[in-house]
Amino acid sequence: MRIDTLLRHTREAFKSLIRNNWMTFAAVSAASVTLLIFGLFLVFAFNINYMASELDREVSIRVFLNASISSDEIDQVKSSIEKKPKVESVKFISKQEGLESMKGWFGEDEKFLEGLEKDNPIPDMLEVMAKDPRQSESLSEELKRDYPNQVDNADFGGGVSRSILDMSSLIRNVVFIFGLGLAVLAAFLISNTIKLTIFARRREIEIMRLVGASNWFIRWPFFIEGTLIGLLGSVVPVAVVLAGYNAVVRILDADKAYSFFKLLGMWPLSLWVAGLTALLGVMIGIWGSLISIRRFLRT
Amino acid sequence: MIEMHDVYKVYPNGVKALNGINVKIDQGDFVYVVGPSGAGKSTFIKLMYREVSPTHGVILINGVNVKRVRDWKIPYLRRKIGVVFQDYKLLPNMTAYENVAFAMEAVETPKRKIRRRVQEVLELVGLYDRMNALPSQLSGGEQQRVSIARAMVNNPSFIIADEPTGNLDPENSWDIMYLLEEINSRGTTVVMATHNKEIVNTMRKRVIAVEQGVIVRDEQQGEYGYED
Repeated sequence: MRIDTLLRHTREAFKSLIRNNWMTFAAVSAASVTLLIFGLFLVFAFNINYMASELDREVSIRVFLNASISSDEIDQVKSSIEKKPKVESVKFISKQEGLESMKGWFGEDEKFLEGLEKDNPIPDMLEVMAKDPRQSESLSEELKRDYPNQVDNADFGGGVSRSILDMSSLIRNVVFIFGLGLAVLAAFLISNTIKLTIFARRREIEIMRLVGASNWFIRWPFFIEGTLIGLLGSVVPVAVVLAGYNAVVRILDADKAYSFFKLLGMWPLSLWVAGLTALLGVMIGIWGSLISIRRFLRT
Repeated sequence: MIEMHDVYKVYPNGVKALNGINVKIDQGDFVYVVGPSGAGKSTFIKLMYREVSPTHGVILINGVNVKRVRDWKIPYLRRKIGVVFQDYKLLPNMTAYENVAFAMEAVETPKRKIRRRVQEVLELVGLYDRMNALPSQLSGGEQQRVSIARAMVNNPSFIIADEPTGNLDPENSWDIMYLLEEINSRGTTVVMATHNKEIVNTMRKRVIAVEQGVIVRDEQQGEYGYED
């Protein structure tokens, strides 16, 4: 396509948005309302997902090292585990640290553990986090298999970990399906309004066809118009959602009593919400335009 | 050249509009298509610019089988054909100049060529002075002249006109006819469906009469032949 043709299409798109100002207003409003719901949902979904990954973090593998291996060997095993593709991080927990944390669990009854300092029965440990927590079980088996002499046992937490993981993936799936449904709903609402704006201009399309304009030549201005409607329609919802979220985060931060609600910070969440909302708006705008124009292009 | 061989058209609702049309229209011809309402004139005309496609039979336009043309290529076929309607079909929010220029933009003509050609064509139809007027500011005859300017601006081989004088008084009708005759004299084929007895009987041309979906008469220098 030549540059001046593209400029013409862009000019036509802007002209028609301005000329059909009420139709534009209707389409942009419809887009704004649905995208507002979508934006609110996104904030919610990102936080849910964040909480789910916080849950996943609870799942780590404890690798109990054989008491007979030297600290050099420990370093070797640690760095070799770190190189495994499934592994996110490895942390060394010495037997002293292990004992300290065990004392913590017993609380006042820690006297029970007195005297163990001299002959600490707790082995040195590596705490391994899998990149994908759902792979923890297979990773722990792999570690036992790969280091039979250095590793006594590797434990990923068994049933409790499994139910945590099941829970977080259920939450993610529910949220994803809900979001998809919302996107489809938004698509129908917005494309219906765009259909009206195109219907108002069927005569123009008819004449373009009669004089031999190619189908793409006819589509382009509508294509650009759809993009603009989607973009314009996402401005207000993004602003409202982010301002609202910012307020909520501040209130919760100010009152530490609620600090167990760990909300995501404004950044980079804002970028995601703005980007995804605008992207959905644009995609729906384009899709709506192309779908609606199709019936006028049939010969 | 337009050729039709054994062309039938049955609409999806079961109406049999054409029942075996055979015709050949040479380059440079001037043809009136006449016949009672509902006889199939409109369908016959629409087949030529591929607004409808035949149920059966072959239509050749400049040797190209219209039915075989892929959908996306039809616009390129249409560029060889200019169409004029009874109701002008001008875009109301564009000036006379813009309406004509629109047809050139639509086929992606470079801008510098558009200006010169549009002025030239508007001069030919006698509306050079009115080029900045909106359709609502023009009379019916003037609007029809704009639509003829639009039809011919891309230098088509054919002008297909569907009752171009149907909404005009006799004086304006004759202006349009002289214009079409002028365009025809420069080598453009003109096919025109009409109900105007006076015009057909005065400006003698080839007459094709369609009744109940078939051609019942095809005469050079023919007469209108109906009473209405």
